[in-house]
Amino acid sequence: MTDTTTSTSKTVNTVLGPVPAHELGVVAVHEALLSVVPGAEYAYDITIDRAEIFEILAQKLTDFREHGGKTIVDSTGMFHGRDLKLYEALSRSTGVHIVASTGMGPEEMLGGYFLTPQTNPPTPWPAEKFAGLFAQEATEGMVVPRLERRGAAGMVTVTATRDGMTATDESLFRGAARTALATGIPASIRFGKDALVELEIVLDEKLPADRVLVGGLDRRDAVAAGAPLKVAERGAYVALDHIGLEDDDAYVNDRERATLVLDLVKAGHGGRILLSSNAIGVAKGQLGHDVAYSYVASTFIPLLKSLGLSDADARRILVDNPRDLLTVR
Amino acid sequence: MSKVNTVLGTIPAEELGFVAIHEHIGYGMPGSELDTKWWKTPEQRYEETVPKLRQFHEYGGGTFVDATGICNGRDVDYYKSLSAKTGVHIVACTGFVGGDTALPHFARATVDYLSRQFIHEITVGIGGTGAKAGIIKVGVSRGGRMTELDKRIYRAAARAAAATGVPILTHLAIDPEPAVAIFNEEGLPLDRVLFGHVDDGVNAPITPDTWIVQQGGRLGFDTFGYETELTDPPFWARPRKDRMDHFLRFVQGGQVDRVLASADANCSPLGWPGVKGHTVNYIFEVLIPDLRNNGVDEETITRIFVDNPADFLSIRN
Ligand SMILES: [Zn+2]
Repeated sequence: MTDTTTSTSKTVNTVLGPVPAHELGVVAVHEALLSVVPGAEYAYDITIDRAEIFEILAQKLTDFREHGGKTIVDSTGMFHGRDLKLYEALSRSTGVHIVASTGMGPEEMLGGYFLTPQTNPPTPWPAEKFAGLFAQEATEGMVVPRLERRGAAGMVTVTATRDGMTATDESLFRGAARTALATGIPASIRFGKDALVELEIVLDEKLPADRVLVGGLDRRDAVAAGAPLKVAERGAYVALDHIGLEDDDAYVNDRERATLVLDLVKAGHGGRILLSSNAIGVAKGQLGHDVAYSYVASTFIPLLKSLGLSDADARRILVDNPRDLLTVR
Repeated sequence: MSKVNTVLGTIPAEELGFVAIHEHIGYGMPGSELDTKWWKTPEQRYEETVPKLRQFHEYGGGTFVDATGICNGRDVDYYKSLSAKTGVHIVACTGFVGGDTALPHFARATVDYLSRQFIHEITVGIGGTGAKAGIIKVGVSRGGRMTELDKRIYRAAARAAAATGVPILTHLAIDPEPAVAIFNEEGLPLDRVLFGHVDDGVNAPITPDTWIVQQGGRLGFDTFGYETELTDPPFWARPRKDRMDHFLRFVQGGQVDRVLASADANCSPLGWPGVKGHTVNYIFEVLIPDLRNNGVDEETITRIFVDNPADFLSIRN
């Protein structure tokens, strides 16, 4: 399952090592396996039962595989419950490729080490320090805190504050862009207030737009502002990544998402669309978001096809686009 | 009988002996565990830590109070092994060094939730270790003023202290008016609170130490050894004589029962370089000889390091 490939072949970083890009198959590009709010692991009323978590995640990944899914990206970054040894065991046992991510954000979710370091004054980390931390995870391997490095990160993911980017959020975005440039893994940005403005921050670092995924573009405010089309025109990937979320006023519903997809395809941007659910396999310290990882393939794609999406475009969206994005350059 | 929670169980206060009231086995800001630059092997950690604790024990040290908050690398199973193998009692804390060291799960929590977290760690145990916290840590975030989150943590700590009888130890005593107001509102006697770091180089000039004593609080002269005489002093260092003069004003001014002293050293720092050569044993090697040279008698030294800590640490209910 994990090929040792020559340095010239195109590969994707998974938790079990580099995998030839053509093996990825159907990819869920913005999902969460185990998602733990930082600090919840110390809470008196929260138990983290690894055997139970494994069982739940294995069942969900198996369901994903049974609906044609072959690769899942845990896009929670390095400080939100990422558990590499668990993911390695899950990948081995279910046969689903698991791509884990480095990165952090927004500022509120960071540890004090990055925000109020033991210096005088306590200057928050600048972009180059985040770039160093993230890039090492993509080249030398992701960390198991204070213990060891494991496989290399396959994506760097950062998030901005909903009310608007803070200075540290901007450092995270620039650090992620530099990481992507230096290591060849893609950058995922979850925008806070304004997708276009925040996309420009990473592009300002000279990162080619086709190395960037912009998440959350099925947010109602972004759709109203025409952001999905504008992001595609700019050349970045448009992630409609809350597929299956039907009861949240902040997001459009699946019917509206379908219209967006078809409009983007019609406008010639079929090569820039990514679909995912931001499902949470197991949530600790937060509300779950219990959508099946297979929901896009099993439910949303049939809806799109019934509305006229071609098989070729469906395949492009589920297989080709995420493969091109995730392939290490 | 007066009792104190240590990591190896609840013990009579009479067994505490000589106490270092504010120390760290190892401290790191939350998130530092992600940065390999600070990583050390377990061999190295034990090598850096065990000799210091054994030396402390040989000098006559009885109890080491670890003031490392919940998200700062507190590692109670490790403390249990250190205590068992060196014979030093270790008291672990619940609580947070300051709002800026509380991770999001706690930063978002209510006063009620935080107090339940603290009470659970004091009365049931910390995580799955079975060890109960013997003290509650709170503190002022970087910036010099108490933040809204700092205040929430202080209030939760006050409730937990009132409910369990375990005392509170603060990181910094600057901006103490809101803290004192919270403790009063929650009905916590102020002699259950040690206002720490009144002596550090940055904060001593802006800490209203006399006012704190007048309110009934205790003062922690607990950064002894972080002095400008070091080859590479940290930014909070202070000239040795200034600190001693400051301490003596209280010790020799009729307030000896209101002070506690310690070195705030890291045996093996977790997320910062530490200060080379500075250990808990500064207390025996430098501080106590200095006190004697300044005419402080043995009975007073015993009050500072044995009687006051026993009175403070004893669970009061
Ligand atoms: Zn301390």
